[in-house]
Amino acid sequence: MIHVYGVVDGLDEVPPIAGVEDAPLERRRVAGLDLVLSRSATPPSAEVSRETVLRHAQVVEALTRRSAAILPAQLGRGFRDEDQLASAVAEQAAQLERGLERVRGCVEFGLRATTELPPAPEADTGSAYMQARLDQVRLQDDLVERLHEPLARLARETTLQRRGGGVTAAYLVERDEVPAFEAEAARLEHADGVTVVCTGPWPPYSFAAGTP
Amino acid sequence: MSNDSLQYQVTLLDLVDRVLGKGVVLSGDITLSVADVDLVYVGLRVLLSSVATLEELDSGAASA
Amino acid sequence: MAALQLCGGNAVSENGELGAKLLEANGDLRRIASELDHLPEAFPRRVEADPEKVEQGLAQLVLTLIELLRQLMERQALRRMETGNLSDEQIERLGETFMKLDRRMRELTEHFGLEEGDLNLNLGPLGDLL
Repeated sequence: MIHVYGVVDGLDEVPPIAGVEDAPLERRRVAGLDLVLSRSATPPSAEVSRETVLRHAQVVEALTRRSAAILPAQLGRGFRDEDQLASAVAEQAAQLERGLERVRGCVEFGLRATTELPPAPEADTGSAYMQARLDQVRLQDDLVERLHEPLARLARETTLQRRGGGVTAAYLVERDEVPAFEAEAARLEHADGVTVVCTGPWPPYSFAAGTP
Repeated sequence: MSNDSLQYQVTLLDLVDRVLGKGVVLSGDITLSVADVDLVYVGLRVLLSSVATLEELDSGAASA
Repeated sequence: MAALQLCGGNAVSENGELGAKLLEANGDLRRIASELDHLPEAFPRRVEADPEKVEQGLAQLVLTLIELLRQLMERQALRRMETGNLSDEQIERLGETFMKLDRRMRELTEHFGLEEGDLNLNLGPLGDLL
């Protein structure tokens, strides 16, 4: 099976590290796009080991440092053979080209924020249920306004998910804006009553898919 | 659990979330197969266009 | 399906690079770290071989679509509630319905051995559904 790490542009050379299962990294030109991959004798499986996740991430990091733009591939879907890979890439080639432009010169940062409030108790009437849900939405709105919006102003693009008493966001940040973004993130550490975690810079995983 | 270890874990969570949940999938279809025979490809693009329509209906109803 | 084994003990020294990724962190990190236990398993994009997994994969697909509709309706109801043009009786009836749907969804999710996070189809090139 073929394991893909990402679609790259302007990669100087393949990093001198081994891929998943210690397989050597290879560079392939498919439909005018540069792909980095490795081969494995093991068939695809629904189970993913910790080693595989970390190794995949390590290769993507190394590729990010060595290229002008990268669309990290999602782990967990391998290709049986070159033909299957070639047809999948060819079908999406135009979209992948646009995707590379979208993330060029950018890195990704992450935000996770949850409130200290316990999750809403089980409601026993319909009105109580609706009120609890409304409170939750308002709480999320507050987190979005206090934490997400200041960071979003420094980003080229953002994603935002609301879940229960918290929000998770990702930011696509141009390299020049990174110091300003990090300073803003440091300021948010003082947010009251909220657990905040900011991570990065990451390869632009959250912005690799979904380009129209 | 030590604070260092907690900090590592929250970072690991972010990493795993990205590696497994994000990133470009070079083929966006689900294959249903039994005994290694591929039976049905669920075209997610078709599915998504219906979802987009639903979202439009949703926001349309909101402004009504 | 075995889940990812991620919560090891000697994790800190294992990957120094990862430690450098933490920009800021405050508050009760345990709340966030505990999410590691609930990560959806690698989504079975190929629903393989044994009949039990096919059933689970199909259930995941169907339940995800139902959950999407439930959330769209609930969001819409909350918006109407906020603008104040719903009567108390309407709110009560809406709430009862969503509450029952919510509970039923949780039962079904559990019945098919799925977790909450599994009900979010990753649409590959198109991003997440929910």
